[in-house]
Parts: sequence; structure tokens; C-alpha cells
Amino acid sequence: MQDSHANAEDFDLYALGALDGQEKQVLEAHLLVCPACQKELARAKQRVLRLGLAAPAMAPRPQVKLALMEKVKAKRAATGARVFEMKPPKKRWGLRFSFGFAIATAVLAFATFELVKIDWERGKQIKELQAQLNVAQAKAKLDAQAMEAMASVTAAPDSTMITLLQQAGGPPGQAHVVYNARMGLAVYSGQIVPAPADKSYQLWLVPSSGAPVDAGLVEPNQENGAVVVHLTPGLVAKAFAVTMEPAGGRPQPTGPKVLVGVASS
Amino acid sequence: MTAPMQQPPDSSLIEKMMAGDEQALAAIYDRYSGMLFGMLSRILQDRQAAEEVLQDLFMQLWHNAGQFDASRGSLPAWLMVIGRNRAISRLRGGRFREVLEENEGDYASTFASDQNIEDEAARSELAKNVTAALATLPAEQRSALELAYFEGMTQSEIAAKTGCPLGTVKTRVRTAMQSLRQILDAGLAR
Repeated sequence: MQDSHANAEDFDLYALGALDGQEKQVLEAHLLVCPACQKELARAKQRVLRLGLAAPAMAPRPQVKLALMEKVKAKRAATGARVFEMKPPKKRWGLRFSFGFAIATAVLAFATFELVKIDWERGKQIKELQAQLNVAQAKAKLDAQAMEAMASVTAAPDSTMITLLQQAGGPPGQAHVVYNARMGLAVYSGQIVPAPADKSYQLWLVPSSGAPVDAGLVEPNQENGAVVVHLTPGLVAKAFAVTMEPAGGRPQPTGPKVLVGVASS
Repeated sequence: MTAPMQQPPDSSLIEKMMAGDEQALAAIYDRYSGMLFGMLSRILQDRQAAEEVLQDLFMQLWHNAGQFDASRGSLPAWLMVIGRNRAISRLRGGRFREVLEENEGDYASTFASDQNIEDEAARSELAKNVTAALATLPAEQRSALELAYFEGMTQSEIAAKTGCPLGTVKTRVRTAMQSLRQILDAGLAR
């Protein structure tokens, strides 16, 4: 249990979003473990949000409401029910897989041309086997690349290990990220209670400034098979976090934080 | 003279929304759009952009009504916080800025019920008091606070923009919030 609490003046600043740098990191780390300060922050948030009332109320044009209600109607007509609006997850892994698939496609095309000469039935069987072999070769190549990346990150002296801890009231779990900003690589492993069927766990790199960066979906049980994540090199990570998002993920975090780990400077 | 008709509480409108009642969404929109649009317009300084953010906000509410427990949390407080975040993200280049503390899915536990915002008359009174209190602040304190709240700037960014030392900016924002505390805390549960 914490004997000392955060500087009370910092709560308002934090709630405003004005606190930054080391002060912010220190406060966030403290908030992870201090329910009393979490309460103080909640009160500060309510206090700060009232500042918005200083802006005089204004009526939007009637067309705004009309357009909103039309959208709602259209959505219901399209889906038959109110469902979460899901956007396709960002293709962050595209670079990793496209090379392998390109090879598989090129080899498949060549194999198809050669097999046209043979009896159709036998030719069909051979084609299927060739396709399976190519997929396996591509996967092996990807696995080898992933292994190599993992080894690089974990061995590099400028890599950082971040432990992501369960959030108060959240599902049990813990994870680790080994991150190297210079390489733009992160290795994630961890375990979380399985998410509901309509949800996915999504990993985020939280930079010291700017929006959180999508680091992809993670499986609840990622303890025996670590995941290599390719990110933009040079991103300074303030923290890593796992949130629970609608199935398939979101381009930006919208769901509750499940695991959070602050990177030490 | 007949008594004024009692407006249904937010919780009952939320329940109706969960059941697919579009008019419940319309009622919530009518109740809070003026307050929200004023704030969004102040932040974005662009009517069309403010209208777009307003619409997105209510679409999100429509989609996520099932996650909101209005008997425990404040709907207008959530709308204001998320609306502010969205507007600032748009103002600063479309990047979602706040992460760890602003959790769009974590409704009720973040903001306790706030009658001073949910009740229109009380909200109007509070708005008047906040505006008046801000006007009494020294100009540099008010400016620093407004840059933080309405433009989403950090202390460092305010210092860079104003050319003031970081320590001065910190003091100004903190002093401003201390001066406003009594008004801003009015009616908040301890």
C-alpha cells in the first residue's frame, strides 16, 4: 500500500490533459496502484469537464438532427439491429504477409502453367499438393523471419522490457513487451482471460505525444508463442496497453483498458 | 396553471435506446446538443466541423447505449468529455490524443451522476457562474487555462506558444484551477 500520495495539484492538470513529461509518467504509475488517488482524479475530471460550460450553448442547424436520425434509420435498415460500428482493422501486418503471399502466388502461377499438359484429374491433384507446399514454404519463411526479429529485439542492448499489469476491476492477466524503438520492433507475450465472443484484445503503443499506435490484435493466451510486431522505427513509447475492442479491432482505442505497462525512461 | 411536465430521466431514455427507440436518441439529442455544440464550436471554431463531431458523438452513443449504466453514471458528462476529446483530436490533426485516462467504453465508473449538468436550469446557472468566474481571472491565467481546455495543449505546449517558462505556465494553470475550484466543485459529491 502506498504511504505517500500524488501531488493534489497535479490531478486538475492531468484531468485537463495539460500534465506532461515525467510528472505525467509519475502520476500515471502512481494511479495504477492507489485507489485513493484514483478517486481524487475522478473528482478532478468532473471538476474540469464543467469548464466546457463556459462556452455558450448554441443550437446546431436542424439539418444535423435530421441527418443523424436518417443515419440511424439507415443503419437499422441495413443491419436489422443496432450493432457496434466496426471498421476493418488497420492492415499493420500487411507488409509481413504480402511478401510471402507474393512468392506463393508467383510459384502457383508457374506450377499451373506446367500442369496444363498432364491428364486433368492427376493434374488437379498435383496442383492442390503444390499449393499446400507453397503455403507451407511461405509460412516457414515467415516463421524464420519472425524468429530472427525476436532474437534481434531481445538481444539488443537498447531494448526495453515493459510489464503490462491488470487494471483495477478488469479481467485477470499479465503481459510483457520487449520493445526496440530503433528497430521498430516489439515482442509481445502474455496471458489474459479470454474475451467475450464479440470482442478482441488489441495492443497499443502509447507514444510520448500523439495518438496511440495500433500494434495489432493479441490472443488471450500468447504465453507460449510470442508475437513480433512491426512498428514505425523511432517511436518513443511512453507505455503499452491492451484494450478490449469490438471483434476485429478498431483504428483507435475505444474499449476499456485491460493491461497497462508504463515504459521507464 | 398546470405544473411543468416532468422530463424522463436519462436512464429511461437510455433503456429505450437499447430497445431500439430512435425517438429516445432524439430526446437526448434535444436535451444536450445545445450545450455540446457550444463547446465543440468553441474548440473547433468551425461550425461544419462542430456539426460533424456532434453527429458522430450521438451515433456512437446510439451504438454503445448498451454499455452505459445511467443509474450510476452521468450521460452528459460522458458526452462532454468524449466530445471534447474528439474535437481536440480533429483540431490537432485527427489524432486521438488522450488514451489512458479517457476510456470511451468505461462510462459509468468515470463520471458520477451530476445533477448540476443533467438538470437544464441547474446547468444554466452553473454555466453562468463558470463564465463569470473565468472572467475574474487575470488574463494570463485565463488564457493558459483556455489553451489547455479548449485547445488541448499540455503545459509544455502552452509554454512554447506563449514564450513563458514552463514553471510560470504550471503556476498559472494551477492557480486558475484553485480560484475556480469552489464554483467548479459546487454540488459534487465528496
